[in-house]
Amino acid sequence: MEKTKNKINWKRELKMLPGYLVVIAYVAFMVIMLVWIFGASLSTSREIFTGKVLEFQSGFHWENYVTAWKTQNVSVFFGNSLLYSVVSCAGVLLISAPAAYVLSRWKFRGSQTIRILLVIAMSVPAIMIIMPLYSLAVKWGIKGRILLIVLYIFMRVPYTAIYMLDFFATLSHDYEEAAAIDGCSANKTFWVIMLPLIQPAIITVTIFNFLSTWNEFFMALIFTSGKEMTPVGVGLLQIVNSMKYSGNYGGLFAAVIIVFLPTFLLYLFMSRRIISGVTAGGVKG
Amino acid sequence: MKKNRTLIFLFMAPTVICLLLMYVYPVLRTVAMSFFRVESVTADMGLWRFNGVDNYVKIFHNSGFIISLRNFLAIWIVGGVITLALSLLIAVILTSKIRFQGFFRAAIYLPNVISAVALATMWVQYIFNYDYGLLNQLVTFLGFDKVRWLGTDAKLWAMIAAFIYGSIGYYMLIYISGIEGIPTDLYEAATIDGASKGKQFFRITLPLLKGIIKTTITFWTINAATFYLWSKLFSPVQTEGSTIVPVIYLYDTVFGGKGVVERDAGAGAAVGVVLTLIIIAVYIVTDKLLKSSDLEY
Amino acid sequence: MKKLLSIVLVAVMVLALGCTAFADGTEITYWSMWNEGEPQATVIAEAAEAYEAETGVHVNIEWKGRDINTLLSAALESGEDFDLFDDDYTRIGQVYAPYTYDLTEMAEAAGYEGYACFNNQAIAWAGYLNSLPEQPNVGGVFYDKAAFETAGIEAAPATWAEFLDACAKLKDAGIDPLAQDDAYCNFTFYYHLVRYLGEDGIAELRENGGWADNEKAVQAVQDLIDLVNAGYLAEGAPDAYPSSQNKIGLGLAAMVVCADYVTAEVNANTGTEVDWGMFNYPTVEGGASADAYMGANSLAIPSYSEHAQEAFDFALFLTTGEWGQKLADDCHQIPADPTNECTSLPGAVETLLAAEKPMSWCGELNTHPAWQTMRDMFVEMFEGKYESGAEFCAAMDALYE
Repeated sequence: MEKTKNKINWKRELKMLPGYLVVIAYVAFMVIMLVWIFGASLSTSREIFTGKVLEFQSGFHWENYVTAWKTQNVSVFFGNSLLYSVVSCAGVLLISAPAAYVLSRWKFRGSQTIRILLVIAMSVPAIMIIMPLYSLAVKWGIKGRILLIVLYIFMRVPYTAIYMLDFFATLSHDYEEAAAIDGCSANKTFWVIMLPLIQPAIITVTIFNFLSTWNEFFMALIFTSGKEMTPVGVGLLQIVNSMKYSGNYGGLFAAVIIVFLPTFLLYLFMSRRIISGVTAGGVKG
Repeated sequence: MKKNRTLIFLFMAPTVICLLLMYVYPVLRTVAMSFFRVESVTADMGLWRFNGVDNYVKIFHNSGFIISLRNFLAIWIVGGVITLALSLLIAVILTSKIRFQGFFRAAIYLPNVISAVALATMWVQYIFNYDYGLLNQLVTFLGFDKVRWLGTDAKLWAMIAAFIYGSIGYYMLIYISGIEGIPTDLYEAATIDGASKGKQFFRITLPLLKGIIKTTITFWTINAATFYLWSKLFSPVQTEGSTIVPVIYLYDTVFGGKGVVERDAGAGAAVGVVLTLIIIAVYIVTDKLLKSSDLEY
Repeated sequence: MKKLLSIVLVAVMVLALGCTAFADGTEITYWSMWNEGEPQATVIAEAAEAYEAETGVHVNIEWKGRDINTLLSAALESGEDFDLFDDDYTRIGQVYAPYTYDLTEMAEAAGYEGYACFNNQAIAWAGYLNSLPEQPNVGGVFYDKAAFETAGIEAAPATWAEFLDACAKLKDAGIDPLAQDDAYCNFTFYYHLVRYLGEDGIAELRENGGWADNEKAVQAVQDLIDLVNAGYLAEGAPDAYPSSQNKIGLGLAAMVVCADYVTAEVNANTGTEVDWGMFNYPTVEGGASADAYMGANSLAIPSYSEHAQEAFDFALFLTTGEWGQKLADDCHQIPADPTNECTSLPGAVETLLAAEKPMSWCGELNTHPAWQTMRDMFVEMFEGKYESGAEFCAAMDALYE
């Protein structure tokens, strides 16, 4: 494999030309977009609205970044998104892994119903459940970060449980029998022996859950009731809106870059992992 | 293995609570609510007034809802066909003997990690702009008249195009993993038999990807049904007919939009029910279609 | 035991009394519709500090942004703990009214007058005064005085004929007469229709249809179609907001039909200081109304607030006098206190004071089941998709079947 890489077989490459064109066009377009956004973040509103983004006639307006950073709580938004994603990923595992294990091992009264419910729940659209959840949250006085954390955990439980169920099902019963002979309780067997055995699946599903929680928007919009609990997506929309109302479009795109950059860097380092996670996660679902 | 009732109970309880609280109760309540006159979303059941199917009559007589359904169908069918076809094409390209596979995969998936808010703002303010936008620059360069990309005729399609561009990477990855799961000796055998690349695609790749295609259709359906953010960003001041989608309609109906003071949570619930029924119908149809053609090989 | 208990009780009481006396006192919570970083938010935050320095009352501000309307209903219904909020006065008057504080007595005691048009409207909706304007808006035609000078237009047009005349002059001078963004097509349309039919006339049409049989309605639409066909719209209009209105700041277009905030928006978007003028939307021959659009973002207090007086005092502190002036100046808006001066748009205060009944944004039309289709049709009309007023009105009637 390594060897063929060094030697370019021009004839074969030529055959692949249409393929190259398609992906290169796609990527080139993205580069244009990113360059434009970056250029806009260093321009004045007037330059943006006259199509002179990449000319920088009035110099580079780094102060857009200062305004965008200072006037908004970008760091708070990031902190919240990170908190939501990390905590809910852990919470989802704690809830769904045991359930998936039990469902894969035993049949009991209601086990079939629960399985079916999990599959159905996976595809219930948010708007079908959002109104009763809203009134429950108000009635029980649940608000703040904990509300979104709980919602995000519950939102990912069905998918995660179904996903892990298949993996537990492939594990041999010998493990438990051996553990039982050694006098290991069923509870301990699960946490110490069985759960680590499906580690690859756990990593995959966690990446998947992390991304969907990080990107979640609608729930966050409905249930966010203040700065201190706003995640990045909704926060960016607020920044974009306030920059729009005050006519600071340069600041708007600076905010976009500020929010984009950490995610992008993380992605650069993790892209292999993320991609394999999404790939595996998608196929199973 | 021996049944351990305590363990089963303890291990299952959180999931069952989750199912009941997050799904069963809300779905039932939404269904019930859709048959009542409910003004505020937080109103106690005591304040609900039964009004039969009036909510459904109301939304189906509202052009906002009808247009939103139409737009949903356009996003789902047209957007779906293009997205899934393009991402399959790119997946095939990126699993062939092309160079820089890793780079291209990462780059094409990139829009999924950029915030949609940022992407949509850029599309509206730059790509589709009438005076200096990228597309109109291209159009005038080619010697044509400028196009109103965000006019009433084209806006929905402009929005769908932007959405497709950002979505392809995700479906591409799913297809790639499917293709990589196909045993390579199948292709080798086909090559020896003299089958062309195209033939191999239709005879081997496509049939073996059937399960994956079904998955992607399901994912796309959920995406289209929950489509919200792009529509909001493409109509920045207030909801517009050309880009309205069911979720936006529901949001405005339940919470009231700009200049709209009427709130109707009952009608909102009816919207949710109708949309869910559509999704169920889609599942059944795709399931039937993709199953019946299983017999081919 | 008893003795001990009474000592403890006394101690607690003393402590409690001491607390109210010594503590930096009351704290009021204000849910704001602004976002941090907006000029309004900056002024409000400063005003809150000044207010605390003066009275010792701490104002705890929570910036909720424009989506505050999704929070308010539920928050008010469930008795959430806050003392002051702001939103569109239409919604405060109509939706939140059951949960808002009656400000009548406090306003009287403070000698508050404000604008009669908004107060009357609030009372008409809620049955009592339930909101104080914070950011009044007035609609009309906003124009670049320099462009008018270049084109040799001396007096602001008052009638539709004069308006068309001005358009012709502007076009001759090489300036696009009227900017029009898609988001405001319904506004311009409604304005013109009001001129012919009045809001009651439109309400009648909304209810029963019959657009094509209504000569005035047909004529109103025909006027606008003629305007489009004469080429008086700016290049690319109806454009995606805010592209078209920005053209005024870029010196490419001269006028726009909107509310006064358009001036600050255009100035900021294009980095210019346009010399803005404003005139009332032109009247038509045999017309029914010359009303101007007026609206406001207003402050209100939940009916259950325990610090209603403090909240009211802060609201007054913010919107009148020195801070009211600063709010008007820094945010380029019309002062909420008529005794202040409007620096962004001379004459706006007088217009508001003279008005008895404001024209609404789109009346009851936006509750029509086919409203979304109508909105699209208004844009399409400006795009030149309808041949005549009769054709358009027939299409409107078709929506009633």
